[in-house]
Amino acid sequence: MKVTWKLPGGEAVTAQADYGQNLMEAAQANDVPGIVGECGGSLACATCHVHVAPEWTEICGEAGEFEDAMLDLVENKQDCSRLSCQIELAPQLDGLVVSVPAD
Amino acid sequence: MTIWTPQDDGHADLSSHDTFANGAPHNTFARLRRDDPLHWTEYEGGKNFWSVTRYEDITQMNKQADLFSSARGIRMEDQSYEEYLARRTFQETDPPEHSKVRMKLLKAFSKTTMAQYEEDIRTLCAEILDQALAKGTFDATKEIARQLPMRMLGRVVGLPDADLPWLVEKGDALIANTDPDFTSHVLDKMQTDEYRMMPFNSPAGAELYVYAKELMAEKERKGDTSGVLNLILEPAKDGSTITETEFRNFFCLLVAAGNDTTRYSIAAGIQALCHQPELLDQMQTGGAVWETAADEIIRWATPALYFRRTATRDVEMHGKTIREGDKLLYWFISANRDESQFEDPFRVDLMRSPNRHLSFGQFGPHVCLGMWLARLEVTVLFQELAKRIKSIEPAGPQKFLRSNFVGGIKELPVKVEAI
Repeated sequence: MKVTWKLPGGEAVTAQADYGQNLMEAAQANDVPGIVGECGGSLACATCHVHVAPEWTEICGEAGEFEDAMLDLVENKQDCSRLSCQIELAPQLDGLVVSVPAD
Repeated sequence: MTIWTPQDDGHADLSSHDTFANGAPHNTFARLRRDDPLHWTEYEGGKNFWSVTRYEDITQMNKQADLFSSARGIRMEDQSYEEYLARRTFQETDPPEHSKVRMKLLKAFSKTTMAQYEEDIRTLCAEILDQALAKGTFDATKEIARQLPMRMLGRVVGLPDADLPWLVEKGDALIANTDPDFTSHVLDKMQTDEYRMMPFNSPAGAELYVYAKELMAEKERKGDTSGVLNLILEPAKDGSTITETEFRNFFCLLVAAGNDTTRYSIAAGIQALCHQPELLDQMQTGGAVWETAADEIIRWATPALYFRRTATRDVEMHGKTIREGDKLLYWFISANRDESQFEDPFRVDLMRSPNRHLSFGQFGPHVCLGMWLARLEVTVLFQELAKRIKSIEPAGPQKFLRSNFVGGIKELPVKVEAI
């Protein structure tokens, strides 16, 4: 499956990702700048924040309660904000587009 | 040029604090990574434990907090259940309990909050460096590395400057509780169990507790509710609060953990500058190097040599069976020199990128809360140092801390030529 990360500078990274990975792991595997993921997906750091593109927000779903509390800590929180470690990649997300907020 | 050559014969006793008094036994770690990545380590002072030494294993295991728990102790030493309860902080809990406490503090320690301290740090660095460098030849750990984190702790926690030397001395007695230079109650040689219910099994824990109580009473009298100490007293979302014992332990953790780790990162960075002169040139050129330098210095230092976990059920790994209740030590110092993750791991490369080192315990729920502050302190300190010196070289033998838990150069004689 393919994922596209739009970067703050206007460039974009499109890369292959695997089902079963989460979006943060896919970003790390492809060295996407700005997605740090320091806590390995255990909801302890909020360093893998993304904005989900409008056409994908419904399919990705909303942030969980704890995730939402973590998102309160980031700059640039929007309605489409998610922590990418909480997005499990599955076939219906093939072609997913997210943007990496400037920090 | 090599910064430092390990002294061990490849078969060092990892459970012995004396081993680490000569620096980390990297020949032993290299052998274990290659031949025995899950190594059953004999420990005279208590139950034997597993030593996990490969980068890949540690990152995978660190994610599985349910299987490898922090809630039965995080250091090699065994604790009874009552000692554990008396001495634990949120470091010794697992999610979701751990996350509840952590949430209260995340904002105060976030990258954005910390960035506001940059000018403060720069002013402090200028003061510290101008004083130290004027001496020409001096102990860089004492005169530089120890000073900055101590004084920043005062700012972040809200403590009076006059109390800081005393607090740091107590903090050292806690966390360097196996080195006779820092405590008269050396943990593995102690004849008493009088302090076993105190943080770090140390009398300094009791003194810090009295200090914290008086500090909070004073703040309450003044109606001052600012700072991280008040944050932790706030109820969590579900209304739960921490107990007085937990507060005491948290205060000790702040004083101890916030201090020596950054100190030893700075010391290791200065050590590297002494032996790889091109590093100073790179720093003086400036620019992009500052985006990556701090992480490389912190990788090189790896002040938290390991953290321990305990298996919550039987699990197979590398053809061996880890039993429920077995202790496992994640040797971050070994993972940070793992050839399969880091090219030329014994060289300091300030431009190393990506640099997914594990000095902050990354890829697990306990990733260091103070990491943004640490990175900022290291960056600014070296920026200011590079502006001020033409050269730096060793001026005598370095001495390492006697501890298999905290890795640090406790004495680093250097000679500088100021600009």
